[in-house]
Amino acid sequence: MLEIGVQTHNAVSDDNPNAGFKMISDAGFTCCDFSLNMYLKNTDLYEQRLNGFFDKSINELESFFSLHKKAAIDNGIRIHQMHMPYPNFVPDASDEINNYLLNEMAPKSMQISDFFGCRYIVVHAPKVKRFYGSEEAEWEKAEEFLSHILPMAKEMGITVCVENIYISAGAHIIEGPCGNPTKMAERIDRINDEYKAEVLGYCFDTGHANIVGLDFEKFLNILGKRVKVLHIHDNDGISDLHQMPFTFTKTRENNPSTDWNGFLRGLRAAGFDKVLSFETAPVLKSFPEELRPVALRTIADIGKYFAAKLDATSAEDT
Amino acid sequence: MRMVFSPKGLITDIRYPGQGLIDIQNAGFTEVVLDGRLAIAEEEFRYVDRYRKFAKQENRAFLFDEPSGYKGRLEAFLSEVRKRNLKTKIAYAPCIKTEVRNPICNDPYRKLVQESVRLAVEQECESIIVKPVFIGVSLEKEWEVNKEFYLSLLPIVKGTNTRILLQNQYQNHEGHMVRGMMSDSLEAIKWVDELNQAAGENRYGFCLDIGACNLCGIDVYEFITSLGKKIDAVIFSDNDGHQEEALLPFSSISDGLSTTDWLSVIRGLREISYDGVAIIDIGTTIRAVSVMLRPAYMELARETMKFLEWQITIEKQLQKYKNIVLFGAGYMCMNYMESYGDKYHPLFTCDNNSSRWGEEFCGLTIHSPKDLLTIPDSTCIIICNTFFREIKEQIKQMGIEADIVYFDGEYSPKMQMKYRRF
Repeated sequence: MLEIGVQTHNAVSDDNPNAGFKMISDAGFTCCDFSLNMYLKNTDLYEQRLNGFFDKSINELESFFSLHKKAAIDNGIRIHQMHMPYPNFVPDASDEINNYLLNEMAPKSMQISDFFGCRYIVVHAPKVKRFYGSEEAEWEKAEEFLSHILPMAKEMGITVCVENIYISAGAHIIEGPCGNPTKMAERIDRINDEYKAEVLGYCFDTGHANIVGLDFEKFLNILGKRVKVLHIHDNDGISDLHQMPFTFTKTRENNPSTDWNGFLRGLRAAGFDKVLSFETAPVLKSFPEELRPVALRTIADIGKYFAAKLDATSAEDT
Repeated sequence: MRMVFSPKGLITDIRYPGQGLIDIQNAGFTEVVLDGRLAIAEEEFRYVDRYRKFAKQENRAFLFDEPSGYKGRLEAFLSEVRKRNLKTKIAYAPCIKTEVRNPICNDPYRKLVQESVRLAVEQECESIIVKPVFIGVSLEKEWEVNKEFYLSLLPIVKGTNTRILLQNQYQNHEGHMVRGMMSDSLEAIKWVDELNQAAGENRYGFCLDIGACNLCGIDVYEFITSLGKKIDAVIFSDNDGHQEEALLPFSSISDGLSTTDWLSVIRGLREISYDGVAIIDIGTTIRAVSVMLRPAYMELARETMKFLEWQITIEKQLQKYKNIVLFGAGYMCMNYMESYGDKYHPLFTCDNNSSRWGEEFCGLTIHSPKDLLTIPDSTCIIICNTFFREIKEQIKQMGIEADIVYFDGEYSPKMQMKYRRF
């Protein structure tokens, strides 16, 4: 059976990380997705604000996170994956900010990942197509960023995973960086060949895929083994709500409007053998505090359900 | 671009197409789609029993059961089209509503498509848009089933001038629209190429449906530029990104912005120098408004298409003129110069602000508007200013006869690209 994981955001706090990891463990998870992105928030970065968190030396950062590391170990939780703060490039920001993201935030994130023994770190490619004119030019910018961290990744045995993200046209969300599976497969293979190591992989985000109308099965079929990390969450097909699977319906029949069966068929076809990791922090926020452990347990149960389905020998089960 | 109007929504009763065709003609369109959806609506595949009953009440053939009645159902339309001297060079085969799941529909669908292709050939249409068979077709079988389906139409069109156009699809997953067949450009190219290879001739082509792209969040610029010259026709329509509607372009708005990424549509079609068939489908919009308002909406539809044509074929328009002069010396002028300044270099620009006359700006000298009186013949004046109509009136009052057009920086190739750093 595949292991089940969940992000630490809204579950693990800095003042008492043990309580958070215990809640994750008690709910039935064995892994987590460490939300490093919450230490330098995207909302601040888009406002061109730096909070100084990554001004700390790596020794100071390791010291800061030592309690988290211990709490995870003590509660039997493996930090399988981590989310690097994003964006890592802000088109209309000053060079000072962008250089900080490139030279301080990014390498220190890699070091923190290594400190936790975490082998997968998720990054967002910059959303700059409108500024740079084409998806190819946008990817060129992403590669420029990756070239700064992939040598570290190789040395540390870490796989950096790029994720399917989105952009907006008004309130309508459309495909953003890293959303073309054929191109991404070629790019990942080319870069890994260059480095002679699996330094680059893919993070498939079900929620982002759902709002831009991707066919999960087809997408995962194309990317195959390059998918190393998952962000499992649900939405109404309109907004990026990060809710638990099976939450949304759109017809009187009340069948789920997200294609979870297609997701499972795709994972099976891709030969996915990593962690079924949920990116459902808003669920913990929306439920009253007393119900949070139960909500978390439900998410873990959904993960176990997925794992059992994937274990089934016949594709007809999905 | 050759503009074609899709009459679905405007002609609501196929027995009486006259008024709708008058509206189309009065708006300035000269060509309409020979639309199979007028003969049998997409909903008829979903509510078969209900529509069978209606047909019986009206004492006519129900095409689901009797596909051979297809041509007869469209006879009044064709007769009226001929009477009004409208062209029908593009046909659209009947379609099934995306939420239909009953495989029993597949056989009538295939037969109706065959009938529609026969009629398209008979009417000497240059192409007919045919959607794939989708009900009950698994991911693995999509190509196999549809290769057979599309090739089954080949004997009907063989030796004629009629081509079959495939179209990008979306699928309805429990009320949520997701990407369907040929919504990946590489897959679309593969399907068209393999069908042509099997046919031994260039018999199959591609119709890009902008609305379908928008419903499933496709990066439309990449989609268009990847397909390139494979695109034979484009259907322009708008929607909110979620509901299957055919709205007037630029009419679906949220947060003060279009929900369709028109910037990418225009940039993409401009990039591939698209100058082919442009079908406008505003079926939902036109159906929803009062019959009294429809002529006004039709006029707006026509103006919208002219605007899109200008934006998409801007280079072709610029090539028509021996000389170009700009009016305006601000951001839009800069934008023009960055986008087209090298290739279509203006003689000068002018501005109403006398303190700037003589100043060099983006490689141009800023003149007084009075100097427009001395421009040579075959010069186009391009207004690079949002106060377009006011400036146009000013120029006209000076007695200048030259063509005056507007450069809309919002859709220019370099718009938003000022942060480019490499």
